[in-house]
Amino acid sequence: MGITCEKGDVLNTLRLCGAIDIASAEELKAALLETLKPGVEVRIDVREATYFDVTVIQLLWAAAQEARLRGVRFGYAEEFPATLQSALREAGFESLTQPAKLDSSAGETP
Amino acid sequence: MNPMDNLELFKKSFREEAREILVDLESALLELNERPGDDDLISRVFRGLHTLKGSGSMFGFDELAAFTHDLENAFDAVRNGRLEATGALIDLTLESLDQIRSLLEENAGNEPASDARRKELLVAVRGWIGTSKKSSTDGEGGEPIMPAEEESLPDGRPLREWRVEFAPGPDLLLNGTNPLLLLRELRQLGGVSLRANLSAVPSLVVLEPERCYVAWEIVLSTGAGLEAIRDVFIFVEDSCALKIEPLDSGTAVSVDVKMPPIKEGQTIPGVRRGQDPGNRATSLRVPAAKLDQLVDLVGELVTVQARLSELAVGRDDPEVTEVAEQVERLAASLRENSMNMRMVPIRATFERFRRLVHDLARDLGKSVELATEGAETELDKAVIECLSDPLMHLIRNSMDHGIERAEVRTAQGKNAKATIRLSARHAGASVLVEVADDGSGIDAEAVRLRAVEKGLVASDAPLDDAQIHALLFQPGFSTAKEVTEVSGRGVGMDVVRKSVESLRGMIDVASTRGRGTTVTLRLPLTLAIIDGLLVCAGGQKFVLPLANTLECIELTRDDVERAGGKHLAVVRGEVIPYIRLREYFGMGSEAPELEQIMVVETEGGPFGFAVDRVLGDCQTVIKNLGRFYRNVHVISGATILGNGSVALILDPERLAQDAVRGTSSRARGHPAARASRDRPVREKALADEKCSRIR
Repeated sequence: MGITCEKGDVLNTLRLCGAIDIASAEELKAALLETLKPGVEVRIDVREATYFDVTVIQLLWAAAQEARLRGVRFGYAEEFPATLQSALREAGFESLTQPAKLDSSAGETP
Repeated sequence: MNPMDNLELFKKSFREEAREILVDLESALLELNERPGDDDLISRVFRGLHTLKGSGSMFGFDELAAFTHDLENAFDAVRNGRLEATGALIDLTLESLDQIRSLLEENAGNEPASDARRKELLVAVRGWIGTSKKSSTDGEGGEPIMPAEEESLPDGRPLREWRVEFAPGPDLLLNGTNPLLLLRELRQLGGVSLRANLSAVPSLVVLEPERCYVAWEIVLSTGAGLEAIRDVFIFVEDSCALKIEPLDSGTAVSVDVKMPPIKEGQTIPGVRRGQDPGNRATSLRVPAAKLDQLVDLVGELVTVQARLSELAVGRDDPEVTEVAEQVERLAASLRENSMNMRMVPIRATFERFRRLVHDLARDLGKSVELATEGAETELDKAVIECLSDPLMHLIRNSMDHGIERAEVRTAQGKNAKATIRLSARHAGASVLVEVADDGSGIDAEAVRLRAVEKGLVASDAPLDDAQIHALLFQPGFSTAKEVTEVSGRGVGMDVVRKSVESLRGMIDVASTRGRGTTVTLRLPLTLAIIDGLLVCAGGQKFVLPLANTLECIELTRDDVERAGGKHLAVVRGEVIPYIRLREYFGMGSEAPELEQIMVVETEGGPFGFAVDRVLGDCQTVIKNLGRFYRNVHVISGATILGNGSVALILDPERLAQDAVRGTSSRARGHPAARASRDRPVREKALADEKCSRIR
């Protein structure tokens, strides 16, 4: 449960597990900023995530924009779990649940 | 503060609010039982349920929200004329409220609620919804049927498309609100297509994670009206920008709420109480313990201020005197404000008994209505908290033993429906709370015989009504069976007596055979600090509550001689009985040449207390004397004076009653008069007080 970060020379992986909400928002922001380093790809692993609230969605969105500005490749490790995907779609965040699209755009256009 | 701590605070706050909503819902339902077609009441019930569901869902009380959802559906059907608010539906809803209450308390860590009963109730509620004339639900009580392709609902209401723009305020998430749940609730009204607008989300570096930057554009296809759509956002209207408009052209129906949502002087339904038009909170919840702490501190301040004033008098320094006077004024003002914060209307306490009366009337097969008067009367919260139990016992007693069955009442020419009247009003420094019924009244002779049987009084004891009524408060009279056999009252009356005495209150019973009984509880407005008048008698200082004091007159030895030694003073032609405190408390020293009589207002009329000297007014912080002195009823507490010494606070009402009782007992040749019986205890109180100087 929670937020864990695996750092590497070429890839930083941020793993989000369980329900992540406003209680972890500060922590998530710090972790995202920490992972956004020039030349290091960022992967967000949401396979074990069960719930995101608005704060998490805003942070992931802002991180994707930040990555694009910094020229960092940013994307999701795998598809969103079905329940999470469905919940996000119902809340109007469909674009967030499309990792391929995000992945390809991120990092290619600084 | 940690956001998780915040969430717990919100949950706690929701529980408190939900308890209030449940009380209001019960009242509204019981009123609806009397006036089944009242639209305002139906709307009140619907809104209450809606609030419970919406807030419950927001704060993670999912089970509570889900359970309430079906009730809300039922009252939506009532609101739309598709279902009738029958007595059976109201009873079902009342029982469901009990379940909601259990769920609420379960979440607070109490006993788990009964799943089985809740499921049975759900089935029953859904059954009611299923019987609605033109149901818009699927009969299982689930989501409304909203076929996307159909142009009208099964009940004939046309589908309509609405454009909803919802932009939460930046602090919405910090308030514990989850906008995603609002969107989910909106989906329950019909087909939704929506788009989240993230364009306002700033860069990650400057983004404040707990703020909300997202807005939504929504197209809703529904048969529901504008109000129903708006109801979804009812809790956030004051912290969001909201625009709702129909998509079909040529229609003027729309709502546009922007932050701040209400212009000055304009009222918009649905805005939560406690918010003023400028979106500033005009009231806030404060834990009761904090108020207690504040009053304790103010009490300490008042005591220190009294010492300062005394020091200033001793110093005879104008500068010190000026500062002492300023501190005194500020302390008095602070005291008044902090005491006012603790004052709460008795309404909520009264409203709780509607349900009790309704349920008991049903169980006992009696027809009874509860009328309330003076529900806006305010009392100290500590007094109110202790009042529920005695009132409950009095009402139960009234219902069990006082009120007759409808056929008996009709035969006696009474209205078949009995009335229990709960009322409250101020009387000086006290509040009078009355429980009156129009039942059979107390059978005094039966009570007397029962008391003789139980050995409480001698068979030849001459007892007046007040003494007979006092017997009802003896513990021996508290078993239901025995009391029912004597056809009198008394179940739990000893509990009533103990509770009222613990509040330094008094009980008075008035009853007329065949006409009914009125029990009056005289309670102090506050248990903490009062305005007092400091007097001196026999070298001891006493405090008389200022609110009871009418005037001060002089008593010379000539006056005493003129009255022939009787304790009677003539004031502007009116004869006023009095007692000497020095005599009453058995203080042997000789009275001064000139005494002063403090005339106070009592239930029995003006009564005087002769003292050696009146020292002046004082803010009196009431300290309990403890269990050892609990039977010394004429003393309501003690206070610490500016010089650190202790003064006893007198209860003028009881003192006058005790004096009158003592006089009449002696007149009837009863040497064991109560005044005499109490004397050793009173003298002990004084002796101990002499030893308890605090510096």
